[in-house]
Amino acid sequence: MKIALFIPCLVNQMMPHVGIATVELLEKLGHQVILPKGQTCCGQPMTNSGCFDEAKKTTLKLLNAFKGVECDAIVCPAASCLVAAKENFHEFDTSPEAQAVINKLYELTEFLHDVAPISAFNKPFNHKISLQLSCHGIRMLDLATPSEQMGPRTNKVEAVLKAIPNIEIVYPGRHDECCGFGGTFAIDEGAVSAKMGKDKAQAHAETGAKYAVGFDPSCLLHLDGMIRRQQLPIETLHIAQVINAAL
Amino acid sequence: MSTSHTTASHAKKGEIFCQDESRVDWHSKALWALREKRDRAAGSLPEWEQLRQLGSELKLHTLTHLGQYLEEFEQNCQANGIQVHWAKDGVEHNQIVHKILAEKQVKKLVKSKSMLTEECHLNPYLESHGIEVIDTDLGERIIQLAKQPPSHIVVPAIHLKKEEVGDLFHDKLGTDAGASDPLYLTRAARAHLREQFLSADAAMTGVNMAIANKGAVVVCTNEGNADMGANLPKLQLHSMGIDKVVPDLDSAAVLLRTLARNATGQPVTTYSSFYRGPQADGEMHVIIVDNGRTKMLQDKILAEALKCIRCGGCLNTCPVYRRSGGYSYNYTIPGPIGIAVGSQHDATNSMPWACTLCGSCTHVCPTKVPLDKIIHHHRRLKAQAGQLPYGKSTYMPLVGNFMASETMLNCSMSVARTALRILPGALLKPFSGAWGKYRELPVAPNSSFEAWFNKNRGQ
Amino acid sequence: MSSKQSILQALKTVAVEPQAMPNIDVSPRLDDVIGQFETNLATVAGTLHRRAGLEGLQAKVDELIAQGLQVISTVDGIKGNRAVPDTAHELKDIDYAVIPGDLAVAENGAIWVNNQNLGHRVTPFICENLFLVVEADKVVANMHQAIKKIGLDAGEFGVFIAGPSKTADIEQALVVGAHGACSLNVYLV
Repeated sequence: MKIALFIPCLVNQMMPHVGIATVELLEKLGHQVILPKGQTCCGQPMTNSGCFDEAKKTTLKLLNAFKGVECDAIVCPAASCLVAAKENFHEFDTSPEAQAVINKLYELTEFLHDVAPISAFNKPFNHKISLQLSCHGIRMLDLATPSEQMGPRTNKVEAVLKAIPNIEIVYPGRHDECCGFGGTFAIDEGAVSAKMGKDKAQAHAETGAKYAVGFDPSCLLHLDGMIRRQQLPIETLHIAQVINAAL
Repeated sequence: MSTSHTTASHAKKGEIFCQDESRVDWHSKALWALREKRDRAAGSLPEWEQLRQLGSELKLHTLTHLGQYLEEFEQNCQANGIQVHWAKDGVEHNQIVHKILAEKQVKKLVKSKSMLTEECHLNPYLESHGIEVIDTDLGERIIQLAKQPPSHIVVPAIHLKKEEVGDLFHDKLGTDAGASDPLYLTRAARAHLREQFLSADAAMTGVNMAIANKGAVVVCTNEGNADMGANLPKLQLHSMGIDKVVPDLDSAAVLLRTLARNATGQPVTTYSSFYRGPQADGEMHVIIVDNGRTKMLQDKILAEALKCIRCGGCLNTCPVYRRSGGYSYNYTIPGPIGIAVGSQHDATNSMPWACTLCGSCTHVCPTKVPLDKIIHHHRRLKAQAGQLPYGKSTYMPLVGNFMASETMLNCSMSVARTALRILPGALLKPFSGAWGKYRELPVAPNSSFEAWFNKNRGQ
Repeated sequence: MSSKQSILQALKTVAVEPQAMPNIDVSPRLDDVIGQFETNLATVAGTLHRRAGLEGLQAKVDELIAQGLQVISTVDGIKGNRAVPDTAHELKDIDYAVIPGDLAVAENGAIWVNNQNLGHRVTPFICENLFLVVEADKVVANMHQAIKKIGLDAGEFGVFIAGPSKTADIEQALVVGAHGACSLNVYLV
């Protein structure tokens, strides 16, 4: 498939390794990967603060970067940004061209589970990982059934990862409680955010896993800052890095 | 412990609460235990999600036909010998209550839990008119004796430790000094409140559901305090928001199945009492209160907050509430539902930001109130009204322009990455603000992803 | 304009589109309803006596009376040592009340009691301990079924009672016996 990458500003600027792993793993799976030019922020920092006017310019710029791009899917290795892009594109542009872009948007896990499943991994991943099921991915993209919801359960993240030879998947206590990042919440509500992050980092460390693995770079950035401040014996990895290492 | 409803922001109050970390852990754990009990109770019913959907739909149906159901309710109440009063706001509600009590020369009123009367500030109003008001729910009585507001809508004294309750009861009720056994303290409160029930002139309760086609009110308690009150003196009053009415008994059955399960994990409250008229020779009054609810119904998104049945499930699951405490919100009702229904009353405008938009509350809610959507909407309303907190009105336009410009974003982030890489942490800390106060700064990469891609995959 | 009129006026312009009333059709769990009831009654801290019958209950009541306790009964065939008093307040020293329940609910251990069987409405709350008597064929699966069968005529009071009075308001520690009855024993007859 021909895949256009949506690389959110945070990944582009601060976590390029997540983008690189995404490119490499998609290419190993036989896909053609392109990076449409002119990508900016999805507008989430502004719209999540209620500032829609301020978000409009950047959101439309991002949308325009994908309009008319020939591809089978637009894939993003960041669930929260993906959700915000979908919502904000729709908010500011109701044209068929905008809808065509929205219809092609997939978060990486979602893409690998729903659209182009991985037939086999050819390398083992000899570690125990503690899965970070970030909020927007599970509650707005259905990547996993949230713990509040009853009835049949799905977990696309685990479903994708558990096929990797030798991998051991565990979960922290209160496994899908928010890590406390919340965008500007981390700054506005520093003390409460930090307590949430500390609790989450400790819960991951208590599993004895070598890595806390997630699909949302912003949560991982927050967790990483907490883990290093608390000097906990665990590191963060993005799901793309784990998958790439096993291909 | 700070109990004041001052005008400090939620962030400031949360920061103060977080200073005692062991207390935060204790508070968070106690409430999470309720969430776990809720999960077990909900999970035991294969039809749980169906009940949530039914609850949502029947409440939304009622809210969109509210005038019709309120009139039907009033007519049926009157046919059952119940007197119905209408109050446009809290002030009028308090006046109506006082008038009813004054006509009967009531000196002592026993009350069961009602968040509506908290919202209307009824107790101080009646006390200023010489009427003694006794809150009879154990948790409510504890905080009344401690002169504090509730910190949770279902377990109002959840913020107090048993030793603190023991000291309070020793001081106010004469229990043994140092005694803190919950059974001993509860029995002491039972004996104390029995006397109050037996000597009360009137009783007042909140209303969990009002049945339109029967003219009946449903009151749910675990302790039996509402029924001990309403069934002893010959005068009973029930205050309800306009949002409490449901069409019929079948609707009430749906909500009774989810209310207690979602609140505490019990299959149902111990007592679910249906009052369809006063006791023999008694008088029964129902006061229907608006107090801003009709205004919320004029906003499509805010309107859904009125589906709430006040189970408190959203507070228990909220990671922010559990770590900031009930007094960090500038409204009588804390937590996600407090933000949803109280943000317009917050002078600091900070309540809508006391939330990471994680969405757990929305998924917990037994009537599917879209709490995260409503909280997000409140942020937009605050922005539109020029009432942004935390300096956002100054920096958000700058962020908007900055983010929309690739050049600016690339240049400045390149500088930032270099700074993060080459400067020692100690030098960066003062500049990193709220992030670096609690967390290590990110380890900066050498270049952006885009630069890597162009170099390695460029055409 | 009166407050009633102004509220009703304001309600004429609700921002949400009118929604239809849903059809409430929830499948009941019909296997072993009495067993379910027993389990759930225990969950809410009540005790079920499946086989003792009215005879067993009368024997228990006689035993209590012999201990000098005050027992009031409104169940046909069960004799206590107290009559229904003129005022509700005179019930304050009742140790045990024996009351008929109209139906029991398997899913949550609740029993419906109507005020016609109470003497005074406060009886099941003010007594120190409560006995409820329910006919074995009056156990229904869930609240949807129960609500269609309860008696609640105009002017009446009725209550679902699920276990003894309880509270967890002090540090979430469950204490049985807050304001209402401190124990509940249910006799199936």
